Amino acid sequence: MAKRTFDNIKLGLFVLVGLGLLILFLYMLGRNKSIFTDRFEIKVQFENVSGLVPGNNVRVSGIVVGIVEEVQLINDTLVVVTIALNEPMRQVIRKNAQASIGTDGLIGNRVVNLLPSKNPAPLIEPGDILQSQKDVSTEEMLRTLDQTNRNVLVISEGLKETIERINNSTQLTTLLNDDGLSRDLKAALSNLRNATGTASATMSDLRQVVGDIRQGEGTIGALLRDTAMAYELNNVVSEMHALETQLSQLTRQTGNLVTDVNQVVRGVQTDLQEGPGPARLLMQDSLAAARLQNTLGSLEEGTARFSENMEALKHNFLFRRYFKKLEKQKRKAAAGKE
Amino acid sequence: MNYPAKSRVFLHEIGELTRFVLRFFREAFRPRYEFSELVHQCFVIGYKSLSLVALTAFIMGLVLTMQLRPSMVRYGVEAQIPAMVCIAIIREIGPVITALIFAGKIGSSIGAELGSMRVTEQIDAMEVSGTNPFKYLVVTRTMAATLMLPVLVILADAISLFGSWIGVNIYEVLSFRLFYTQVIDNLAYYDAIPAIIKTFFFGFAVGIVGCFKGYFSTKGTEGVGRSANSAVVMSSVLIFILDLLAVQVAELIWDF
Repeated sequence: MAKRTFDNIKLGLFVLVGLGLLILFLYMLGRNKSIFTDRFEIKVQFENVSGLVPGNNVRVSGIVVGIVEEVQLINDTLVVVTIALNEPMRQVIRKNAQASIGTDGLIGNRVVNLLPSKNPAPLIEPGDILQSQKDVSTEEMLRTLDQTNRNVLVISEGLKETIERINNSTQLTTLLNDDGLSRDLKAALSNLRNATGTASATMSDLRQVVGDIRQGEGTIGALLRDTAMAYELNNVVSEMHALETQLSQLTRQTGNLVTDVNQVVRGVQTDLQEGPGPARLLMQDSLAAARLQNTLGSLEEGTARFSENMEALKHNFLFRRYFKKLEKQKRKAAAGKE
Repeated sequence: MNYPAKSRVFLHEIGELTRFVLRFFREAFRPRYEFSELVHQCFVIGYKSLSLVALTAFIMGLVLTMQLRPSMVRYGVEAQIPAMVCIAIIREIGPVITALIFAGKIGSSIGAELGSMRVTEQIDAMEVSGTNPFKYLVVTRTMAATLMLPVLVILADAISLFGSWIGVNIYEVLSFRLFYTQVIDNLAYYDAIPAIIKTFFFGFAVGIVGCFKGYFSTKGTEGVGRSANSAVVMSSVLIFILDLLAVQVAELIWDF
């Protein structure tokens, strides 16, 4: 019988441990699912709940504080979600908190996130209706990602092409494989260095020259620095300007004169060729020309004789005095002019 | 009616078993309870099976974790090993493996014990001496099996999860607290409750089939061996059938 009692104790222990484990396990599950805590209900309005179902978690700052109790479709743009929050959250959540629907991980269950607002507001009460915030859904993210992918594809194709061109370019390859190139390049660089040195020396010379000029030394310096000369030059220029004006006037007058002469000449020509006057006769009649020549010869002769007569007259006592007076007057005028 | 011989034997056995089960309920609720014998049977059936069940449960948890690990690592979700293992153990592996071990140990022992009692005519002697052999032998053993298997399964689940934690820690360092949090986070009542309820049926099936096979044992010592053997086979098959039923009923009730 003692053996039996001992066995019973072992059996009792065995059963108690088993039942204790069961109760502990169920209690832990229950506590985790918040079955034994008091709750109060609030409502949230959404346009789209993206697959939210009763039982999904509600989070505040990433901590689970309640569950979704009910999802009701009110009309085609409004879904009202009833949320059961743990009682302690009454002291935490405020009336102006906003709700948004997120995902637990990238592909996990839907969760409702309650986001606190920065503005002050009284604490939440059972039956309150919270506003919702539109959230970035995975689909939208994927759509954007699709666009990004396409862009990346284009970019990578372009890059590929460029690289292929570089790879296939014989010029570049020869350039890269050419051993002489580096030597040439080195020589070129040393030349460049020399050139730079020379240039720098030239520059310093130039600087000196410029300094000299600024101080008024040398011809150019004098030219640049002498103010009197500049003034004179100015005068010359203005005089030249006046001269130019006169010249242009003269030119204009000359032009007029030439025009007039032209007209006269043309008139004479016309008269000569077509006119009824003696001129044309003179010009065209060879007989008349011969007679005219004779006349002219006679005239010349007559004139010479007349000149002789006049000379004789000058020396005549009757007219000598008049001529002397005329001469004296002429001499006087010349002296006054001097 | 003319059925083929094998079918007739099979149907006959099903009919006998059903009658046996009904008789069990009739006897079990009728007064004059063999309480001390029930406790003794509980001790023999439950407590004495603990070491075997604990060993297999521990190894099961450890091996399951190690076997799942490569696949989980390939998908980059080795952090989910505790969640996966705990759901597998609590929902399915724990109850079924424990029940099968239980059937192997208890079903065969009950079958052999009652079979040898039958062939040595001890049961007949009991009947003559005024003790109700059905009440004394069958009801106590079946009740003990029904009540003890759930306890064994709960302990086996705990030991299995511990083995799984060790299995995780072979490859990486995971605190027991985090393991425990992950396990609890990934379990709900609809994982635990049906799994525990079905173990009552498993226990009942093992006990009643063992008793049935032993109680109607025939053909001497050879028959004893056959009853022990067929008790294990039949109860194992019944466990799987009940498991199939349990998952369907659970889905109906929990609406998942």
